[in-house]
Amino acid sequence: MIELKRNALEFHFPEISPDARLSIEFQRTLRIPDDDQTYPLPPGLGRFPLEHVDDFAANVPQSWLQRGGVMLPMYQAEALWINFSAHYVSKRQAAYPFAVKISAGKIDAVTGESWNEALRKKPQDYLVIPRQPWLDGYCVGRGVIRQFVAMPLGSGYSAEEQITGTAEHGGLQIKVFPMRREAFERRYPIVRMRATASARMMRAAPAPLEDDTLSCESAMGLAPGGQMSQEIYDDEFAFHEWDHQTASRCFVHLVNTEMWQGITGKRPPTKPPKAKDYTKAGLPWFDYYDESPAVNAQAKLANLKSVAELGEEKRQNPLPDNEAVDPTNVVGLRKGLQPGQVREGCF
Amino acid sequence: MAAEFGEYVRKCREQKKAKSADFSLRKLAIRIGVEPSYLSKVERGQEAPPSEATIAALARELDEDPDVLLAMAGKVSSDLQRIIRKRPKLFAQLIREMKNMPNHAVLRVVREVRDGDW
Repeated sequence: MIELKRNALEFHFPEISPDARLSIEFQRTLRIPDDDQTYPLPPGLGRFPLEHVDDFAANVPQSWLQRGGVMLPMYQAEALWINFSAHYVSKRQAAYPFAVKISAGKIDAVTGESWNEALRKKPQDYLVIPRQPWLDGYCVGRGVIRQFVAMPLGSGYSAEEQITGTAEHGGLQIKVFPMRREAFERRYPIVRMRATASARMMRAAPAPLEDDTLSCESAMGLAPGGQMSQEIYDDEFAFHEWDHQTASRCFVHLVNTEMWQGITGKRPPTKPPKAKDYTKAGLPWFDYYDESPAVNAQAKLANLKSVAELGEEKRQNPLPDNEAVDPTNVVGLRKGLQPGQVREGCF
Repeated sequence: MAAEFGEYVRKCREQKKAKSADFSLRKLAIRIGVEPSYLSKVERGQEAPPSEATIAALARELDEDPDVLLAMAGKVSSDLQRIIRKRPKLFAQLIREMKNMPNHAVLRVVREVRDGDW
């Protein structure tokens, strides 16, 4: 069961355990320069607003209603990262584990393979929460990802279009599998001692439209942007400990900000700052330290061209503001994220 | 119902009048756009409760919840009526199913994100 609360997707599995709860939110961030450098993690600049597509049935294409789910507005000048927050069970001093599949345009962000409903162990095509606190982009090397940046669907830049040659799906697709209850309770027995701090801080706190119009000009796909350091961690659990029969999934539609206003009548958030201005102001970038083993990139994603590389080939300039920056204020965050540790740029 | 409504309005007004002379019958009646004699009769239950607009003005002046005052007057606000009239069968069913639920359960009505075909 998924609820939309305060612009976050709240996954609940009461049939497994009242503790099996996971919150997923989409953080706005600046677009890191798309050049040869590998950058630290950019900040969270607040949650993207989310709306049920069903609430605007008269204004969205039929294909969106068929897919269901939610939608969010995205500027081409911004990027997105995904924040995972599993429910912390104080008496077991552990967060409830989940296996989460993330695809963009139905291309798996970890392996580059086309969407499939099941979890796959080799190569691992899912993230393990809570070890993985965030996902910022496509896994293109061990410890390196390419940022999720918004490009108009149909322009040829999205990972979906580069891999499949078509712009059929766009958006983000999420499927969440909880750990089996007995596995969780066996791994994390009740701790009989004085309660300890249970907080796990996060990195951040009009007229009906023709289907074709929206899918070509307004729907967005995620394309590989600049490079940054981020591990996709190996599954530390046994594969059979995941509940493969119980999962919830959600399609997240991405729409450009002009069309968002047309569909919902609501103003989109203000434009995010440019990486250059943000860095010049001395605001923080982030590094996350966890020495747990990480998965390697698969060829399909490693071979993706970034927006800047593809723009050069196409003799287009899709990134007018792409100057290199030199982040000097880099805040280190340690594994597990202690209380007070946040990844945000709004102070 | 008229007596209960009038008595409640009078009690609220007199509580306010104890702190401010602005809540005399005459001054309040002028602010909400009715004759003092009419408001006096309403308070004594000798007149039926006033219109929705007047009850809303009274609620604003007395810092009371307009929906609660309307309910005491045996009325339902026109915006709620419009919502119900749009999907009468659905809302009638919903309200009947929820009539015995405790408040926390009513507030916990879950709206699921719908998954479709993709």
